[in-house]
Amino acid sequence: MKNTLRQVFHSPKFVAGFIIFVAVLMTLFIYPLFNPGNPLQMLALNSFSKPGTYVSVYDSIDTDSIVMKLPGAAEKRLEDKLSMDDRLAMKEWLVTAGVPEGDIDTTDTTNLLKIWKEKYDPSIKPAGMTIAKRNYYKRLTIDLDKALNSNEVTIATPNAETGALEEAKKINDTDYVNTKDVTNAITLPLGTDNFGRDVLKELVSAARTSIMIGFIAGIIATLIGLSTGLLAGYVGGMVDELILFITNLFTVIPGFIILILISYGIGQENRGATTVAITIGLTSWTWTTRSVRSQVISLRNRDHVNLSKLSGHSLPRIILSDILPYIASYVVMALILQISTAILAEAQLSMLGLGPKTTEVPTLGLMMNWAMVYSAHTHGYWWAYFPVLLIIALVSFSLNLMNTGLDQVFNPTLRD
Amino acid sequence: MLRGKRLTAILLVLVMVFATVLSGCAKKEETKTEPTAAPAVEATTAPTAAPVAEETADADPNALPRTETLYFGGQQWGAVNGWNPLGDNNNNSMALASSGSGSRTVMFETLYMYNFLDSSMTPLLADGDYQWNAERTAITVKINPAAKWSDGTPVTADDVAYTFDTNLKIGNNSGNGNKPYIASVVASDPSTVVITATLNDAGQATNPLMLVNFLGSMYVAQKAWIQTVEARCNNDATAIKADPAEDVVYSGPYGKYYADAQKVVFKRNEAYWGQDASMWGKLPVPKYIAHTIYVDNAATESAFKAGEVDVDQQFIPNIQDLWEKDGLPISTYIDKAPYGICVNMPTAFFNLEKPALQNIAVRKAIAIAVDYDAINANAMTGQSPTFKDVPRSAMNPTDGEQATFDHEAVKDLQWAGNDIAGANKILDDAGIVDKDGDGIRELDGKKLSFVAACPNGWSDWQASIEIVAAAGKNIGIEITTAYPEADPYLSTVTGAHQQDYDIFMMWTDSASPVQPWGRVRYLMSSEFNGVEGNWSGNYGHYSNDRLQELLKLIPTEADAAKLKSYYTEAVQIYLSDIPSFSLMYRPDKFHAVNESVWSGYPEQGDGLNIPPSDCTDGYGIAALYNLSLAQ
Repeated sequence: MKNTLRQVFHSPKFVAGFIIFVAVLMTLFIYPLFNPGNPLQMLALNSFSKPGTYVSVYDSIDTDSIVMKLPGAAEKRLEDKLSMDDRLAMKEWLVTAGVPEGDIDTTDTTNLLKIWKEKYDPSIKPAGMTIAKRNYYKRLTIDLDKALNSNEVTIATPNAETGALEEAKKINDTDYVNTKDVTNAITLPLGTDNFGRDVLKELVSAARTSIMIGFIAGIIATLIGLSTGLLAGYVGGMVDELILFITNLFTVIPGFIILILISYGIGQENRGATTVAITIGLTSWTWTTRSVRSQVISLRNRDHVNLSKLSGHSLPRIILSDILPYIASYVVMALILQISTAILAEAQLSMLGLGPKTTEVPTLGLMMNWAMVYSAHTHGYWWAYFPVLLIIALVSFSLNLMNTGLDQVFNPTLRD
Repeated sequence: MLRGKRLTAILLVLVMVFATVLSGCAKKEETKTEPTAAPAVEATTAPTAAPVAEETADADPNALPRTETLYFGGQQWGAVNGWNPLGDNNNNSMALASSGSGSRTVMFETLYMYNFLDSSMTPLLADGDYQWNAERTAITVKINPAAKWSDGTPVTADDVAYTFDTNLKIGNNSGNGNKPYIASVVASDPSTVVITATLNDAGQATNPLMLVNFLGSMYVAQKAWIQTVEARCNNDATAIKADPAEDVVYSGPYGKYYADAQKVVFKRNEAYWGQDASMWGKLPVPKYIAHTIYVDNAATESAFKAGEVDVDQQFIPNIQDLWEKDGLPISTYIDKAPYGICVNMPTAFFNLEKPALQNIAVRKAIAIAVDYDAINANAMTGQSPTFKDVPRSAMNPTDGEQATFDHEAVKDLQWAGNDIAGANKILDDAGIVDKDGDGIRELDGKKLSFVAACPNGWSDWQASIEIVAAAGKNIGIEITTAYPEADPYLSTVTGAHQQDYDIFMMWTDSASPVQPWGRVRYLMSSEFNGVEGNWSGNYGHYSNDRLQELLKLIPTEADAAKLKSYYTEAVQIYLSDIPSFSLMYRPDKFHAVNESVWSGYPEQGDGLNIPPSDCTDGYGIAALYNLSLAQ
């Protein structure tokens, strides 16, 4: 045993896969310690807020500020509101409004804005200009008004008695606060999803659920596959025929279809994560049965098995002590593959809306499902779906890598 | 070399894993064929007849010139069944559809065109305004002498009367809907129609508003053509309704050009009577109107963004991204949130056949615990006024409907939502507490556990139901979600009784001349209880005698102050009994346009008063006459 383990841990592939898998697992179990709370809590009243740190605007007003003379701050502020594209678009509008092209210098901000203020009239509808474009100019003008307001901004609060606004604070364009000093702030490394939930927190919780589903389903599938395969292979005869018949039945009907039908039949209200795991396990055992059976057939006429038989050992004892150890390594590899397949199956099921019920636990598939439904992929909200893909890829990849490593250790034909 | 191979192998594995996961994505798309936008009326007709696919000799649908064709999206799902203005099962939503935005008059026409912006009625087949008689029991309408059928014969009052009689006789949706309110439609001379109301015990019209509604909703068919159909169907009502009507005579600006499972195309009738100076004075601008039949919303959205669809009727999350971030020439009727005119109020109904939901404390606790701001911001992505902007009642946010009741009198009954403390207190006070310590409260020894449902694939509804379910968690009530396919879902909730769903979403009436009376009735009238196949409302089977009285009183009340007090009382009943709770305000039809090819669509503040109803419904069709090619 010790020797086998040493052998296994000498395989670089296995070690690489193992490290990735353990690292993912560790993250999944350690992260919630630092960031506890309900992963399904809806934080933001906004769909797909982008990753970053959000500080309370309200609190930042009361935070002590310092004056900083950042070089180029004003230009940057203006550039943010008035890019070169905007300037060219302004020129285009002004030309259609009859301003001679030579008078417009897009690099001369002051002059450009002066002409714009004079000439721009939102009620004019230049011929052939789309509504979208006209609306763009309206938005641009509002933005410019804000950006060019280099005066102080006054924060006012309504008087409790009269309701009249009273000045509370003046803010200059050179005032800065340290984000650490602001009382309320939240860092969302992966932003929020369409429900305004913290994607990272949800992802960690979902990955745990998915791995749990993977393990339960993988173990169930392997147990069924192993016991039927052992029986069929060793006992043979009618038992073999019968098991093979059932196995073939399940093989010709695609397992995923059966899985869909069962999931649909159970109904959403009864589909907890465990139920889904069991369902996946019950539909994906067939190839384990077939391969275990063929391994056992090649083993059952070996001398030590025959000796055991002659010694009058019972069937379970022969199977457990004379056959199982020889295929154990294979079974472990099968288990790893089953886990990996089950994680993918859960993701696919949830994408179809047939995964675990949606209000209890997040799962990777459900996260993908909602991201798709709310067009995250077409609107460029990568944080809502890409990290999910990455986790699924990492977990499957590491499991498969471990499997390949084991294969090289145990399969004599592949041994270096 | 070996290392290179290993790297390749690793990369291959990664690619395969991605591919497997993505193939899951692809499968999802295939299954999602239901439109997000809940179709208001079309949904009642499930296609049963085999789709009609045929070609006229000169039709080559692939050769439609882009600059002469206006493409629609989000209206037609599945192949067209027929072109029959008397049938209910055409699945031909570009030709035959009536909803809160008014009837679609692309191919068949109504007497008047309804405009939900100001509730006005513009004459179409009619000539001038309609006239009430002194007792308000009958309406007289003149027919426009210029109005002609596609075969060149004039549209007469006889056609109107005969269509109404046939609708009644064969019992189609239009006939059944008008039967309780309209006693007769008679041609007093070839150009005059008199529509007489049924009378109540006091000798007044049962509901005069339904007569006005009739003017803008009933498609007029040609008497001669109806008689042809009757003859070939041996006067069998079912056969007449199911007739595909390939030979139909129509009066609208467009006729059938081509239809199969991929697309449906209409071609302009160059002899259309509406070019007469008494009507539009010109033909509608696009020569062809086409609707590609997409598999789902995602496919329609891609086509819309690519400029292959000009006018799109679908919910697009964060639609402002399309112009603010992607810079596409796409716009909506209003350039700021909520981007459209919200006249519908998708509502969660409580199943009052469930004993636990007969307890008003439970209903109220759930209703006030739901975070409506989250529904607005996250499910509707801000495309709806919030319940802070427009506090809840049975009325939609339009000024007209909001003016019908006394806001002060219902103020204490309205709730803004997300009131977890308040909800918990209501339940505690009612003695509904968690006795066995599992975190779920019990009522009469049974734990409070409900199923909240809406059709699968109707994304904004699904997200809303998720938020409703999340509210349950906060107040010790277990709410699980269920998303059945639309067909079984709709047939379940429209059944006489059902035990499957406890809290379930349905749309309400949108705008129409009978609102807000129609919506009050839709939300609460017990006349629908026990009716099998009830698509008319009150799906939770609530009943209240006083409300039934009010429903009788409101339509005939002429005194404005009394009317207001009736409506106020109805709102008070609705907000105190809480048989259902609206989750959002929503447009009747989403209306987004891509101006890559066509421009000149209606926009708010353009002074034209053309409603954003996809350039097809009610007075919205006027938009087709103002289009021009984009430059």
